[in-house]
Amino acid sequence: MVSLNPTNQNSLLIRIKIKISQLLLQPSFIIGSILVIILTYLVIAPIISIFSNSVSLTMMDAMLSGGKDGAFTYKYVERVFTSSISEKIFWTPLKNSITVSFFATLIALALGLILASLVTSTNIFGRRYLGFLLIIPYMLPSQAMATAWLTMFKNRKISGPPGMLESFGFTPPDWLAYGPLPISICMALSYFPFAFLLFSSALSKIDIQLEEVASTLGAKTKAIWTKIILPLLIPTTMSVLLLTVARTLGTFATPYILGTPAKYTLLSTSLYSSVRSNESGVVAVLAIVLSLIGVMLLLVDIWVVRKWQRFVTVGGKGIKRQPSKLGLFRTPTTIFAWLIFLLAALGPFVVLALSTLMREPGNFSFSNFGLAYWTGVNVPGMDQPGMFTSPEVLTALKNSFIIAGSASIICGALGLLIGYAVVRLPGTLISGFLRQISFLPYLMPGLAFAAAYLSLFAVARGPIPALYGSISLLILVMVVTYLPYASRSGISAMMQVGPEPEEAGMVLGAGFWRRIVSILAPLQKSALVIAIILPFITGMKELSLVVMLVTPGTELLTTQSIRFLDFGYTQLANATILIIGVVVMISVLILNRVTKTNLASGLGG
Amino acid sequence: MSEIKLNSLVKNFGGNSLAVDNLSVTFPSGEFVCLLGPSGCGKTTTLRMIAGLERPDSGEIFCGDQTYFSSNTGEYLKTEKRNLGLMFQSYALWPHMTVFQNIVFGLDMKNESSSEKDKRFEELEKLFQLKNLKNRYPSELSGGQQQRVALARMLAVNPNLLLLDEPLSNLDSNLRLEMRAELKRLHQTLGCTIVFVTHDQMEAMTLATSIAVMNKGIIEQLAKPMEIYKNPKSLFVAKFVGSPQMNIVDFNDGEQLASSLLNKTKFDKNNVKTLGIRPESIKLTSKDNGDINGTIETIQPTGADWIVGLNISGKSIFAISSDQPPGNENDIIGLSFKLDGLHTFDRNDLKLEAD
Repeated sequence: MVSLNPTNQNSLLIRIKIKISQLLLQPSFIIGSILVIILTYLVIAPIISIFSNSVSLTMMDAMLSGGKDGAFTYKYVERVFTSSISEKIFWTPLKNSITVSFFATLIALALGLILASLVTSTNIFGRRYLGFLLIIPYMLPSQAMATAWLTMFKNRKISGPPGMLESFGFTPPDWLAYGPLPISICMALSYFPFAFLLFSSALSKIDIQLEEVASTLGAKTKAIWTKIILPLLIPTTMSVLLLTVARTLGTFATPYILGTPAKYTLLSTSLYSSVRSNESGVVAVLAIVLSLIGVMLLLVDIWVVRKWQRFVTVGGKGIKRQPSKLGLFRTPTTIFAWLIFLLAALGPFVVLALSTLMREPGNFSFSNFGLAYWTGVNVPGMDQPGMFTSPEVLTALKNSFIIAGSASIICGALGLLIGYAVVRLPGTLISGFLRQISFLPYLMPGLAFAAAYLSLFAVARGPIPALYGSISLLILVMVVTYLPYASRSGISAMMQVGPEPEEAGMVLGAGFWRRIVSILAPLQKSALVIAIILPFITGMKELSLVVMLVTPGTELLTTQSIRFLDFGYTQLANATILIIGVVVMISVLILNRVTKTNLASGLGG
Repeated sequence: MSEIKLNSLVKNFGGNSLAVDNLSVTFPSGEFVCLLGPSGCGKTTTLRMIAGLERPDSGEIFCGDQTYFSSNTGEYLKTEKRNLGLMFQSYALWPHMTVFQNIVFGLDMKNESSSEKDKRFEELEKLFQLKNLKNRYPSELSGGQQQRVALARMLAVNPNLLLLDEPLSNLDSNLRLEMRAELKRLHQTLGCTIVFVTHDQMEAMTLATSIAVMNKGIIEQLAKPMEIYKNPKSLFVAKFVGSPQMNIVDFNDGEQLASSLLNKTKFDKNNVKTLGIRPESIKLTSKDNGDINGTIETIQPTGADWIVGLNISGKSIFAISSDQPPGNENDIIGLSFKLDGLHTFDRNDLKLEAD
């Protein structure tokens, strides 16, 4: 037998010394600890700050009504829920938000499901191209659809150049130009690609053998769909439903552009006007309400996913479903699918582009076309320079690149570092904490998160300077908001690689940095590129997150387009959006090159 | 060439039981040692602690005159500094490096000159039959080639100690036989100490110069392969080594057989809890000519011999016969037991030794 001689001479001191030296030798521990400290501040502090703001008296109110600055008060909660203006700032916007979300989600869901079924499982014409083309609306900034709508349907109710239809002599009624109908349609057309992506991937994951069994038992195509495929899609449908609702609630651009002229306020625009009127208490309460709705939707989603887990089918042999022949329906369905592409992607793009090329809207005579709005020469009735010469546009372009660029690089690096710490310290407190905390921003809509950052960084706190009005604040808030995606992909990338390649390097004498440079980085190269380009794309078209944090001088392209719109420079706004669209498209193409896959895996969630 | 000494090693992963429980053992220099045991017995943890990839909670690890780890003095030598080789079960070849780059990586770490690297690569190329594979990537290699590259990568740095984690489990059976021979030849040529981990007793028996059978974080027995087979020190070792398994009988389950076996030994029934008989130590004769009668249940010819399933008043056992069995299914035949394959265990499942 083996000898047993426990050594009791270990003094406590040596044990502690060993423990510390062990931890310090472990790079994952050091990285993990630093991340814990940084993230605690960046994620938890804004949340605390917004809660405290909701119940403490602002300086302004303290001066007006007496009382101490920062004293505990229910004033703002009352103002939002029960006061005489509560109808205007909360209850009506809530009702409107629910209405718009309901219709937008319904349309998006239906479009997504129908188009995904057509593209993955039938022989409609051009299905190979549609798979990619139908995702394009997702890449356009959310205000593209809304401004395109406005460019088309705008009537005399608001200032600026007339809409295209108006110029043709047809005055669109208000209900068609502004308010719930156009908002719902625009949101649906912006968000259906998300449903399309999720349904397509769910459809391609269903084990083809499940269907083959049914057909050997005598089921026709229709029966296979109604009895097997559609029921199996129930969990996906629920997820799509909840996530689309969450997205529509957090969208700012569409209701701002299409709702404001008709005084049709949603929760997001109500929050924004409270920010503009410096009502930080009300802002905090509204932000909390928005976040709570977000959390609720997410919890329901988690519950649904768990409840329907038995529906999860583990992929079969990867055999592709034979596209079913549509026969007589082939042409009509093809027209339908391409029509949606036209309405949601090509149409807005063409409308926006045309509007920037026509001196007078609606005048299709050859002499009316020109680059005036781009070059700034001979701009009719406008005291603004053109796109290429406008200092505002150039600043915004530079800012957009700097902000989205740095945020995405930081995000990508941070994501991999979090992945490293989480995967290499399994079962420890640090690992669990990092996982949870990096997910937390997911629960707050961008607007609410921005409001929290606004209240936190408006003044200097301890060693942290007041960042309001600086580019760093915008970068920071972007990094933290995109962290859930970055850390999720970082963790899965590290999981995929596993510890062995690094351990093999260790055994052969490679130190920590050497392992990072020679082994981990090359192995994670494509993961890193994806982890950088995806947030860059999102950052380039981000509006709701930054709209209340920008100041003159730190405007981004997205916010600049809103400014132009506010001043009635529709063409310049449209041109700005076109620039964003082009930058995003190029990034997507680069991404496709690098990953050699389609976007379906990356853009979801 | 170094001897490996583990002293009171303890490792706890936070479960109810210790992964490695106060393990003390010495593997002599130049041995080809196998850590054998079922999954979860702590063998891989022990290997990883020797490599430095896992840290013991307490205890000491020495390799020759180097201290790898000591909780008494607080010493800990980083993996990078231990100068050992570890071949992973998955091989862990770096997919972004060619065969050449993989193999010379360790030399790169030592800042060897490129002529030295080329020279060493050529030697290994010859030793491991890697001709023409120099510029291939791991994904372009067969399983056997990948394994040889993984081995060559570790041997390139002339390690004091070579550790192998389940070295053959990812290969198909033909290749396994080939690699077994190769590893054995390699050990003879290099003469360095090799420690490997497996759950396959056949692999352990055929490769190792000594086997440490592990169970629940402790070593039950450390001995030469044949010694482990012929003289298992505990019931666990007896059951784990050998295929088909040793037949195990106690008095509750097969009273008649147990009594018959016990009669062959000099032990008192009060001291014996369990008896075991190796299948090849059961000789089959005609009815009433052996120590006991039994009924043939199944006959499995393997070509070289016959595996015969027998029933003795309700207790099923297996025998291996090199001759045609003296009967067919359902026939009653006689069985006689050879003493050399007969083992007796006490209440603590430890072997009872004849004095």
